[in-house]
Amino acid sequence: MKSIQRRLSLGLISVLLVVGLVLAQTSLWLLDLGLRRYLEASLRHHTENLLVATVRGPTGLQLNEQRVQPAYEQPLSGRYFRIDFASGTPAPWRSRSQWDWELAQAAKVGLQNELAPGPSEQLLLVYRADYRRYGQQLSITVAQDYSPVLDSFRQVKYVGLGLGAGALLLVLLLQRLTVRNALRPLERVRQQLQQLQQGQRTTLDQDVPAELEPLVTQLNHLLVHTEEHLLRSRNALGNLGHALKTPLAVLVSLAERDALAGHPELQATLREQLQQIEQRLSRELGRARLAGEALPGAQFDCDEELPGLINTLGMIHNRGLHLSWHAPPGLRLPWDREDLLEMLGNLLDNACKWAESQVQLSVQQDSAGVTLWVDDDGPGIETERRLEVLERGARLDEQVSGHGLGLGIVRDIVDARGGQLEMLDSPLGGLRVAIRLPGNARRR
Amino acid sequence: MRLLLVEDHVPLADELLASLGAQGYAVDWLADGRDAVHQGASEPYDLIILDLGLPGKPGLEVLRQWRAGALATPVLILTARSSWAERIDGLKAGADDYLTKPFHPEELQLRIQALLRRSKGLANQEHLQAAGLQLDESRQCVLAAGEDIQLTAAEFRLLRYFMLHPQQLLSKSHLAEHLYDGETERDSNVLEVHVNHLRRKLGRDVIETRRGQGYRFIGLSA
Repeated sequence: MKSIQRRLSLGLISVLLVVGLVLAQTSLWLLDLGLRRYLEASLRHHTENLLVATVRGPTGLQLNEQRVQPAYEQPLSGRYFRIDFASGTPAPWRSRSQWDWELAQAAKVGLQNELAPGPSEQLLLVYRADYRRYGQQLSITVAQDYSPVLDSFRQVKYVGLGLGAGALLLVLLLQRLTVRNALRPLERVRQQLQQLQQGQRTTLDQDVPAELEPLVTQLNHLLVHTEEHLLRSRNALGNLGHALKTPLAVLVSLAERDALAGHPELQATLREQLQQIEQRLSRELGRARLAGEALPGAQFDCDEELPGLINTLGMIHNRGLHLSWHAPPGLRLPWDREDLLEMLGNLLDNACKWAESQVQLSVQQDSAGVTLWVDDDGPGIETERRLEVLERGARLDEQVSGHGLGLGIVRDIVDARGGQLEMLDSPLGGLRVAIRLPGNARRR
Repeated sequence: MRLLLVEDHVPLADELLASLGAQGYAVDWLADGRDAVHQGASEPYDLIILDLGLPGKPGLEVLRQWRAGALATPVLILTARSSWAERIDGLKAGADDYLTKPFHPEELQLRIQALLRRSKGLANQEHLQAAGLQLDESRQCVLAAGEDIQLTAAEFRLLRYFMLHPQQLLSKSHLAEHLYDGETERDSNVLEVHVNHLRRKLGRDVIETRRGQGYRFIGLSA
């Protein structure tokens, strides 16, 4: 997408160039035309003078030199005439100014359309008039050098071009300035959108020009709507879960009744089926709760959320575990709070189930994204089995309580973010689960 | 031990009442959040089991009101809301433990035991240990000097209460309040009979009588 600035500049330049050139050329042409009309009148006047100067002398018709303008006497002065007689006698008269060059008789009466080439690179405006005097048919052709006019036209053209170019530059500069000023609100909105994506703000400023207001209002509305929608659907899922899991709890409890102890097969099938229902239900409800990338304004404040999570885990696994977390102070991650809590909660829960005495959470941020490490000092998992465990997302051990769903939902969350999940050896001696989440996933 | 169960799903409440009763707990049952706010704060419960999706008033709100009113009774939240964000909200509101539905009945039993011992400052071991006695809560019998001694349900309840409050002076009315639910007739003579039965099985000096004041659990070590 081209920038608005460039489009406006290109449009303006082409319009200004076309209009300027057409205008300049037309005005020069009109000036030329007017000047020629004016000179035509003057040339006609000259022919009339020459006609008057043609007098009957002792040897027939002759030119009265005194009545001829001096310019016609001066060689190559730029003014020339010739007088042709229809009868052929006397021979055509030529002005002395022609010197060794000869002005040809014009082809038609009146001003000639084309400039005729003259001596020493002159360009001549040629006019012819036909008269009858003393019974003789004669045709008078006068010419005037037009090149000085053309020269000055050219000069005007150069000056005009220079002025035009200067004006164009000025206009472009002013236009750039104006456009930048006019587009400043757009630039601000762009910056705010970026902040929104990075989780530094939750709405856009409403204080924008009237043209942008509908856009900003709509965007804000959409943000609020998305958030409300997410909240509503999470609420509805919570209610659904409640409605299904409570009767399930009754059934699980019934399956443990002493009355069933006499039918171990029946009891085993019941337990197994109930467990399948429960696993499936938890997995699907958990997955449906994920916000994914629906909320651009979401953010997770490590300092605020992590202590609560660690305390909660400490309370649930009340067996003297040492739980700790490390994150750069004031770190905010651009992800939904519930998603991240769910992911970390499940990972830490698993770690707490296996740990001997220590569980540690580390958060690091670099330019490419965020790395999360969950370490424990438990028995760990052999390298060969790690892939299997990851793929199954399965329960790690029947004896440790839990549904083995933890890893499944963690994978869902990591995948939804385009992240990576890895199992490594922990410096604490047990397992390290490393999660790498790209920080700019949404800027793509 | 007297518990309050706040749960609006009747079949589940029935199940819980039956299994908790069998484990020797005196249980009062409420289904409405508004009643729970009042009764939880006015009756001397040892532990409260609270559902979150309650009619009348949401469970978290009930809990917050209890805690705002300085109620220190341990509260175990029993809910279908299983996301970590909800668990954190629950514990922030003042819960002491969080169990999600569906749950294994044994799991609930263990958590209740652990929570009661924790609230009395006792270690969470396999058997309840106090003053030279070991109480096996799942089999409801007592181990004294390497010997298994069978107990009746009433004796078990009484001994468990004594063992959770060793060396404390407990009046008869206090014991009655904590051993019987709100609907049972409280007869102090019955209590006396059970105390005598325990003395016969464990030894005379296990429980000391303070005339006009009540009983004190001494145990074997004293």
